[in-house]
Amino acid sequence: MRYASKKGAGIAFRTLTAEQIKEIHSASCRILNEVGVIVHHDEAAELLKKAGAYTDAGGRTYLSDALVEWAIRTAPSRVTIYNRLGAPAMFLEDSNAYFGTGSDTLMYIDPAGGERRPWNREDVAAAVRLVDNLPQLDFVMSMGLLSDVDKRMIYREQYALMLKNSVKPQVIIAEDRSTVDDIFAMAAAVAGGKEKLMHQPLFALYTEPTSPLQLPFESVDKLLAAAEYKIPVNFACGALAGASTPVTVAGTVAQANAEALCGLVIHQLKNPGAPFLYGYGDSPLDMRTMQAIYAVPHALLLQGSLCDLARFYALPSWGYAGCSSSKMCDEQAVIEATMFTLMGALQGCNLMHDVFYIESGYTGSVELLVLTNEVISRVRNMLQGVDTSPEYMAVEAVKRVGPGGNFLGDEHTARHFRETWQPDLSDFNSYDAWAAAGAKSMGQRAREKARQIMATHQPVPVSAEAEQEIERILRDAEKRLCV
Amino acid sequence: MSKYQELANAVIKGDTQQVKQITQQMLDAGEQPLAIINEGLIQGLNEVGIRFKEGEMFVPEMMMAAQAMKGGVELVKPLMAGTDMPTAGTVVIGTVKGDLHDIGKNLVIMMMESSGFNVVDLGVDVPVDKFIQAVKDHKPQVVGMSALLTTTMPVMKEVINALDKENLRSAVKVVIGGAPVSKEYADEIGADGYAGDAVVATEMCKQLLN
Repeated sequence: MRYASKKGAGIAFRTLTAEQIKEIHSASCRILNEVGVIVHHDEAAELLKKAGAYTDAGGRTYLSDALVEWAIRTAPSRVTIYNRLGAPAMFLEDSNAYFGTGSDTLMYIDPAGGERRPWNREDVAAAVRLVDNLPQLDFVMSMGLLSDVDKRMIYREQYALMLKNSVKPQVIIAEDRSTVDDIFAMAAAVAGGKEKLMHQPLFALYTEPTSPLQLPFESVDKLLAAAEYKIPVNFACGALAGASTPVTVAGTVAQANAEALCGLVIHQLKNPGAPFLYGYGDSPLDMRTMQAIYAVPHALLLQGSLCDLARFYALPSWGYAGCSSSKMCDEQAVIEATMFTLMGALQGCNLMHDVFYIESGYTGSVELLVLTNEVISRVRNMLQGVDTSPEYMAVEAVKRVGPGGNFLGDEHTARHFRETWQPDLSDFNSYDAWAAAGAKSMGQRAREKARQIMATHQPVPVSAEAEQEIERILRDAEKRLCV
Repeated sequence: MSKYQELANAVIKGDTQQVKQITQQMLDAGEQPLAIINEGLIQGLNEVGIRFKEGEMFVPEMMMAAQAMKGGVELVKPLMAGTDMPTAGTVVIGTVKGDLHDIGKNLVIMMMESSGFNVVDLGVDVPVDKFIQAVKDHKPQVVGMSALLTTTMPVMKEVINALDKENLRSAVKVVIGGAPVSKEYADEIGADGYAGDAVVATEMCKQLLN
């Protein structure tokens, strides 16, 4: 039996059978053949037309299987993203799992006083520094929507804050092409020029269709810019199952896959071989409250399906982890975030975002971020699997210790005990020792750690020249936009 | 069980065929069209509203019920020439200029229609003057605006300013919604209400019109 995701010494996980993967691919092809999409972008429509796609009088464009399969073959199967220091940081291929935050939450919860309020620049800078410091977080997204800058400048200012406050790679949101241009220029200023940045991407771009089956102008425009600049990019349906996609998991996968593949076709037509990230997500519509709900079992099954499809297509995968629908960082948040994080890792999702989201993405919790850092650490240790080589089978050690002995004093224990997982925040003390240290809950310890890092951690700074260039790009944008 | 109760039950079940059948039988038996609507069809939908609030019924069932009721109304309507169809009120709604997102707005429409409102949907990417013209044409009690993008939110204010300029502002209540929109933003631009989701939007319109 072949497994879609195989880790370490043998831990394997899959969601779909090989037959189901092909069934879903066929269903998505049928959607692109028979239902079609609406492309609100002239250049993309022209690219599709030239490639043989058919557009009817009503403006719907239908894609052939040959075109879809051409694009799948043309896109690279692995993508490397570099950090600000120029070192390769994420190898997006096979079942490698990387984690990062989400972007643009509306509300910040101050870990000091617990106050819930809109984000400002200082908050975002501090939160990004926290991500820079947490060892299990691999990339950063903007975390908070800035309430203290002009709306037209939000995504540019967020990028400058990410760049200055962390060396880690970023995944960005931008409202339009000109924002992507400015962000690319800022990244080029620290990466050593545009040519080098095209070869060694420092950030990936998030774009999305408007489901069902609409490709809005700005999204496609950004997708084309990404193809040109070789910025790794997704075209990720954010499904609201039961409203923007069918209510069933298979139906949502079939449609979201069709949308992603359609984005891929346009992207590859623009620049064959440019890096593409395959993925999408689902926050199903709750049929009682009309809320988009995160991290429910359906959403996890959808992610497992897309990871299996990504490997079938030989494309890097994009998904979610560490997020929740809960309104505060409570037991529900930890249950949901932990389940998603563990499952995403087992599924072998390459790039998982939204760690720290609560309230379905309206609010960001740095407390949950610190807690999930610990969860990822446990998960990564576990993914190594079980080594059954003679040294690890330890028959020799059993011989040495013999019946009635104790392994504590044996050299085998001394050699290997450091390989067992070590906690950062989890408490392994006796009751008395724990009580003597203040009888603190894990939540209290997480908040204290967040506050301490946010107040003290100093990221490797960007050079003075790069900082000047970033400033210049921001001020030029303000002039252009008449801010 | 009376025929009216039977009709209401068919609406609650969301069975369009049965609603049509009973409505036709009642019309053939000489029942008054307005009574069929008020005491049969609307009674059914009201009961659905109560059960929804109590958590017994869910939105898809509510929508099936609204569709079933519509099936009955269509049979009765031609016989009601000269009489106004009873509605909970008229709402003009659209996603503002520059924004193509309509899932949230459409949920609001579906919930509103399921609750008896007459909804005029202007669609997406709606320019300011189209809102104004719709208010003149349809004389709604409520104008609803949606935006998912931070960059399109300011259009909501432009619509409110234009309503002011045309002396239409006092004739309507303005309710706004969408992911980046907030109660504070509604206050800032002088809207009458902010609704975070379709359930709240429908409740709010009911209250604003009372």
